[in-house]
Amino acid sequence: MGFYDRLMSLDRRWIYLFVAIAVVLPILLEEFGIPISIPPYVTPEAKSVYTFVHKLQPDDVLFLAIDYDPMAMAELHPVARAILRQCFKKDVRVIISALSQNGPGMAEQLISQTAKEYNKVNGIDYVYLGYKPYPGIVIMGMSQNFKLFFPKDYYGNPLESLPMMRKIRSIQDTKGVIDVAAGMVADYWINDGAGRYNYPLALAVTGVMAADYYPFLNSGQIFGLVSGMKGAAEYEYLAEKDGYMKKEDFIANRSMPIQTFAHVVVILFIVIGNIGYFMSKRKKV
Amino acid sequence: MISYFILNIPSAIPWFDFNRINVLITLAVFFCFLLYFIGRAKKGKSLFIRRIAGLDAIEEAVGRATEMGRPILYIPGIEDMDNIQTVASMIILGNVAKMAATYETPLIVPICRPFVVPVAEESVQQGYLAAGKPDAYDKNSVRYISDEQFAYTAGVNGIMLRERPAANLMFGSFFAESLLMAETGFSTGAIQVAGTANIHQLPFFVVACDYTIIGEELYAVSAYLSKEPKLLGTLKGSDLAKLVIMIILVLGAILITANILWFKNWFFVQ
Amino acid sequence: MTLVEMIWTSSAALLTLFTFSYLYKDNPFYKFAEHLVVGVSAGYFAIILYYGSFVPKVIDTIFKQGWWYYSIPAALGILMWTRFSKKFSWISRFSLAFYMGIAVGVSIPLTLQNYVLKHLVETTRPINFTSLNGIWQFLVVVFVFSTLTYFFFSREHKGAFGVSAKLGIGVLMIAFGAGFGLTVMGRVSLLAERVLFLKDYLVELKYFLYMLFKYGILL
Repeated sequence: MGFYDRLMSLDRRWIYLFVAIAVVLPILLEEFGIPISIPPYVTPEAKSVYTFVHKLQPDDVLFLAIDYDPMAMAELHPVARAILRQCFKKDVRVIISALSQNGPGMAEQLISQTAKEYNKVNGIDYVYLGYKPYPGIVIMGMSQNFKLFFPKDYYGNPLESLPMMRKIRSIQDTKGVIDVAAGMVADYWINDGAGRYNYPLALAVTGVMAADYYPFLNSGQIFGLVSGMKGAAEYEYLAEKDGYMKKEDFIANRSMPIQTFAHVVVILFIVIGNIGYFMSKRKKV
Repeated sequence: MISYFILNIPSAIPWFDFNRINVLITLAVFFCFLLYFIGRAKKGKSLFIRRIAGLDAIEEAVGRATEMGRPILYIPGIEDMDNIQTVASMIILGNVAKMAATYETPLIVPICRPFVVPVAEESVQQGYLAAGKPDAYDKNSVRYISDEQFAYTAGVNGIMLRERPAANLMFGSFFAESLLMAETGFSTGAIQVAGTANIHQLPFFVVACDYTIIGEELYAVSAYLSKEPKLLGTLKGSDLAKLVIMIILVLGAILITANILWFKNWFFVQ
Repeated sequence: MTLVEMIWTSSAALLTLFTFSYLYKDNPFYKFAEHLVVGVSAGYFAIILYYGSFVPKVIDTIFKQGWWYYSIPAALGILMWTRFSKKFSWISRFSLAFYMGIAVGVSIPLTLQNYVLKHLVETTRPINFTSLNGIWQFLVVVFVFSTLTYFFFSREHKGAFGVSAKLGIGVLMIAFGAGFGLTVMGRVSLLAERVLFLKDYLVELKYFLYMLFKYGILL
């Protein structure tokens, strides 16, 4: 077997080993006092989501849809947390739903932890609606009247008993929607929510899904797009610059050196594999 | 109940939204295309569909398995029969079964959902019948593995590693397991042909397989093979709709460049 | 960190390592972790569905609020289960027809509006070759057109049409490459988060054991 053929048929466990080294190296360097900090390049689509929240006034109401489950927590929890912190710091009131089937408990944990940090009270500063199945229909219902699908909130309180909900009847009474999603729910928000009722919608999605939503950004159906953990790092970076977060609270930004190193390794292997492919093809000719 | 809904739904929702009349007209035109072509297909009129290149790849894969004396592995995806991709996959399976029966090549069909098992058995049996070899049909060729995604993947990978099929055909709805199966198949040296309409999985199939049938081609292949009037008519109707969209695209770009706005504005949805 | 929190976090770390063991080869530890997550998520979802949907929409409405008409959709839902019976599966078609009728009626016009018309309108923008935006807009129109020709099945890919279809497949491959790259990024993000979790866990574990040792619990 020639050298180039061997390059092409490299045992995948070598790739695992090199990726593992790339992932562990930044952590070890940090332990040995050589921290690697890579400030993210802030994309316009992530900045527009940040600017939207930044421009909200105290007592404005934002709808935050936490539509992911623990499997996508790594990529989406940082951005959901950053948005909640930004809102609570600005005294913007938040209505939250969790339309992913395994996500309600995880969302409740995030909300209660963040609310505790800022002394925010359920029913006055935020309302957590919880989960209902069939997201498309629930979104249409919430766009008309929250009580159609959520007569009570997640904790069992009737919606009319919550002071915050006395003047808010539906999503159309809020300033807009930010959907943090890891599945088909983002499509339902575009189709059945903003597409039908014309309220501002932004998405924060996983890296895998991000490429699918750029056409909606170009067509104006969404006003912003936060893509994966990189997008979350950009959001955290902007939030820290304006004082909504501290560097110690960073989650996504901590992963950026690891991400960078791992990507470099992957790119190197792609280059090596392609060199092997073209050279072995040339040799056969 | 009625009073509950009256109190809770805003009264401003009109019975007919005239701002969306362009959507209604577009929808009506599209439905007319579909109904016209389905009608033509039912009357037995010939509807031309070009031969999809993927069909040649399937034949090549079956031929190679026959030459090497090793089985064909056919994976119909992980979704249930309510998914249109699984339906299309069953049609292709019948055709593959016919080829396998003709060349006397063993066929293995691992299944993820219980409801798909009888349909797959029926497709394979029909294929063997169409090839004139009903006795050669082996009931054990269709095997239920597991409902759970990665348990099914582990089972399929096990089949690939133990039975070493020479051809892996993957048609249907796939998710995260697509790359796991395609990689394992690649490592065994099998020729692989895949097709799915799940866009996220297409890059993995393109990278790991010898030929990939992309998106709508899967439905075109099933329509081409089955000659079922509804499938053919739907395909032709959507082709005509695509042609209209292409014309609107070019015309719209030309007119808007010439600062003529009414054409584009007609399609604008408020 | 309290003892209970340390136990739960240790379980999470252990399950993470069990899952990573698959990288070497399939083994009982990985199988255990996989079956645990499947079982827990199925059980969790069943409870969420029961208390979040079934109780408020069926039990509370029919039996507590006395809205008997909710029994009609409840009956339709129960009739869906007849599909498991060979003799009575035909009954489930009524429920399925009702459900599909509503779903299709709601989604088709909205899908045409949001996935076709809005994108068609936005793709038709002024073209000019004097600015980068104008050239880019021209390329967008050409690429969209050529991708549509690739999926046109009523004509052979020959001549100019064939050239357009070839360009279309090239554009598709670029799109798949972008999707692949983003997927790699997503997967690396998940790995990075898990590794950081393990690192933080080891730091917490070290401190916890130190405290146990310090207070003489661990000799």
